[in-house]
Amino acid sequence: MIRNTLVFAGLFGLSVSVLNPAVAEAGEYNLTVDRITIDTGEFTRSGIGYNGASPGPVLRFKEGEDVTINVTNNLSEPTSIHWHGLILPFDQDGVPGISYDGIAPGETFTYRFPIVQNGTYWFHSHSGFQEPDGAYGAIAIENAKREPFRYDREHVIQLTDAHPHSGDRVMRNLKMSADYYNRQQQTIGDFFSDSKKMGFGATLNDRLAWGNMRMMKNDIEDVQGFTPLINGQSTQQNWTGLFEPGERVRLRLINSSAMAYFDIRIPGLKMTVVQADGNNVQPVTVDELRIAVAETYDVIVHPKEDQAYAVFAESMGRTASVRGTLAPREGMIADVPELREDPALTMADMGMAHEGMDHGNMGTMDHSNMPAMENGSMPSHTMPDGTAMKGMKHEGMNHGAMPSHTMPNGTAMKGMTHEGMNHGAMAMGTSEDSFYAPGSGLKPTAANGGKFLSYSDLRAQKPLYEDREATREIELRLTGNMERYIWSINDVKMSDAEPIVLKYGERVRFKFVNETMMSHPMHLHGMWSILDTGKGKWDPIKHVVNVSPGTTAYMETEVDAPGQWAFHCHLSYHADSGMFRKVVVEGGPQSTDADFGNVSGG
Amino acid sequence: MKHTLIWVGLIGSAILSTSPSSAESLIWGVQVEQLEHRYNDNGSNAIAWDGDAIVGTDELKFVLRSEGEFETDGDVMETLETQARLQKPISTFFDAVVGVRADTPEGPDRFHGVVGVKGLAPQWFEVDADLYLSEHPSFRVEAEYEALITNRLILTPSIEVDIPFTDDREIEIGAWGPKLEVGARLSYDVLDRSIAPYVGVHYERTFGETRDIALEDGKEGDALFFVTGIRLMY
Amino acid sequence: MTKQTTKRAAFAAAFAMAFMVSTNFAIASPGHSAKKNVGEPGKSSDVTRTINVKMYDNYYEPENISAKEGETVKFVVTNAGELVHEFNIATGEMHKAHQPEMMMMQEHGVLDGDRINMEAAKAMQASMGHGMHNDPNSVLLEPGKTGEVIWKFPEHAELEFACNVPGHYDAGMVGKFKLTH
Repeated sequence: MIRNTLVFAGLFGLSVSVLNPAVAEAGEYNLTVDRITIDTGEFTRSGIGYNGASPGPVLRFKEGEDVTINVTNNLSEPTSIHWHGLILPFDQDGVPGISYDGIAPGETFTYRFPIVQNGTYWFHSHSGFQEPDGAYGAIAIENAKREPFRYDREHVIQLTDAHPHSGDRVMRNLKMSADYYNRQQQTIGDFFSDSKKMGFGATLNDRLAWGNMRMMKNDIEDVQGFTPLINGQSTQQNWTGLFEPGERVRLRLINSSAMAYFDIRIPGLKMTVVQADGNNVQPVTVDELRIAVAETYDVIVHPKEDQAYAVFAESMGRTASVRGTLAPREGMIADVPELREDPALTMADMGMAHEGMDHGNMGTMDHSNMPAMENGSMPSHTMPDGTAMKGMKHEGMNHGAMPSHTMPNGTAMKGMTHEGMNHGAMAMGTSEDSFYAPGSGLKPTAANGGKFLSYSDLRAQKPLYEDREATREIELRLTGNMERYIWSINDVKMSDAEPIVLKYGERVRFKFVNETMMSHPMHLHGMWSILDTGKGKWDPIKHVVNVSPGTTAYMETEVDAPGQWAFHCHLSYHADSGMFRKVVVEGGPQSTDADFGNVSGG
Repeated sequence: MKHTLIWVGLIGSAILSTSPSSAESLIWGVQVEQLEHRYNDNGSNAIAWDGDAIVGTDELKFVLRSEGEFETDGDVMETLETQARLQKPISTFFDAVVGVRADTPEGPDRFHGVVGVKGLAPQWFEVDADLYLSEHPSFRVEAEYEALITNRLILTPSIEVDIPFTDDREIEIGAWGPKLEVGARLSYDVLDRSIAPYVGVHYERTFGETRDIALEDGKEGDALFFVTGIRLMY
Repeated sequence: MTKQTTKRAAFAAAFAMAFMVSTNFAIASPGHSAKKNVGEPGKSSDVTRTINVKMYDNYYEPENISAKEGETVKFVVTNAGELVHEFNIATGEMHKAHQPEMMMMQEHGVLDGDRINMEAAKAMQASMGHGMHNDPNSVLLEPGKTGEVIWKFPEHAELEFACNVPGHYDAGMVGKFKLTH
């Protein structure tokens, strides 16, 4: 098996270097940043690419090598490249204003850093809206040792939400009218159909409740009207990856979208998740998973039949989808499943957003009829008013592992306090996912009724750090004003904020309190985010943590990277409008010199 | 002059911001809410418009507003209002407005200072309320609601009430004689929200002393128009 | 004792014996008719060969094993990885049937990453009738531990050795037995 993989990798590497001028010699790579035309089959537009294409080339590094990457800016505006998920000296991180000044038009900047990890990552511009305009590519880092999983071949599956409007235009439009792109709003027709389902009184109360808040329950995707692409190809263009029936295939799933989360499934094939955000996880087999913006998942699939399989990615708000094909031969086209019904947020998702709101009129809302829920019945535990969630200690709220039969003596439930939760009702068909508000309209279910991956299912295969108590906790309230399209942290925009100062050597516990009605993928550069899923030393090690509306999520960081780093919501238009911070790490070895001669070996 | 300098400074610093990774973009746009042909039930035709040009940041916006009505039958500029406004957020959903308004239609000109609020009221009503300060002060409030028949077919009822506090015989205004405008426009978003043609009705009526003055001068006290027009946004 | 009581007692004894016998030979999967195709636990005295198997995260060394039909082989299995692993001899279908049981063990806290929680296993055995992983065709080992499986191979069978800890089989922790005459 390894032999086959090596032969394949060798041939692939050879073909990559022949076809792709990016690989000059092992360890040295060349990238140009160019204006290109993007053709999705649905629309064409001017965009930005690497080496003349979007997505850019797949950069294949080897764990342990020192890489030199020459980036030439052929645009008439400054650019930058950030290596998403890579651990490197801060001045190689590629964020203008934080790592360096960016790359001026016509300039060639040379990045130099050692590769100290393996797995699937990606790279993208960190200037303006160049990334949504097409400036992104993939990084696959070969393991120095044997992988803890087997596969015979691999494919990169990189998603994006290509939009006919340029990123600048989208931002402008959102500022002028926050619902500019929302075509899922509730209409008069919806009022009548809801009245039939829930009754006129309940529907009226529902509309009045949301109208009072001036929030839209269907505002799941801020920016609609995009055409999702797999490796730069839309459903029409049908990206195809080949396999031999019986082979194990590794799929490197990367979500390089500006705003869209995708639910990915391959009808007929189960996916065994072996890596999340580049780090090995104890393998877990699922039917479907949700990939937030900027996350990666590596999965193994084992297609045995001689047929085409659809790699299907459906946007979280169900406004668009893309189908790629895994096939034994070229020219095969897999079926395209239908889009499922739009989800709608519930009052549960608004949980954190309203201190002092009069929840009195919520009593009349009939919670049992949310359009998105497959089985329509909700766990009947009493929902305290949203603000009550703050005081509860949930050790990461690992409720995901609760099976539907009565537990013998609760030994598996060690360490959790459950004030306020009605357990008797938990023993029902629907399982809770603690990373969504109880009763959330956003919680996903697998289209085939099977298993949907939850953060609770992620366990590190091998912890990177010793499990120890955090030295302090920093609370970051994720805030915003949807109507003005202003996004912030602790109600302060980046432009008005002080940097977050951390001390080298400490272990910080970040508490994300999502006071908005949107999901935010929070990304800390340069250091790992150890997501608290209640698994102690087995907590997964990630670089993007999705925080669902109305929830609180915790992650811990061992502060072991000196310098300054970006920390932001990875939704492009949120980051730009203020949901961003600079993190300054005080102390630690002063290794700002990127010259190879000074980098200690190994 | 001071305003212009402050303004240039604000825009300039936004543009020259050196951290493009997190810099906020300049907010700017043009929104033409009404650009229509009005046809009166007694045969008169007019072109009317109402639009804003906006530039600024989250904290401060500069708005240039133009409202007008041009009677094509007699080539008479019935109404021409130009406002220069500064808008600043004062609450989650409302902005405070301060500015100047110049009325330069056919006939005598009028100039006013403007103080007001603008925003989104509960249940999705867009509200604009201004106090016009001058020798002939007045108060104006506009409210609008977008009823979605579908996600593209939108019915927008609107209402505007203008209350003068003093007489202004020259332009046929009587103190406390309000002017009312009520409209209902049905639009269809043809190209995003950039281009949306519409049809609708527009009803104008004066009350009290203003109405008496109009009738004395042989004018109508109220009028109903059938309108066809286009909404633009860029 | 009355005749009836004696009859009942004898019947009960026979039933109990049959039950004990069958559970002793129970293999880690439902369906005992599979005995024929999978082989049977071997006797120490019949062992003709000893094969050392190392378990890593998440793969075996060696990746495939050859054996003769009818041969009794002793497998000395060492867990050289950092997670709990299983070495289980069965057909592909049996492995598939065993996986939900192992999944339940994980959900009940018996399988906990790098250790086996014996209290949780006993609790699960008490309430569900299974949970103590002690079948003769497999060993479940914590990192660093070593176990033995003595197995007599059948004629004509497609057997695999695999780890059914949730996800491991799908990640490739499975190897084939090549049976020769």
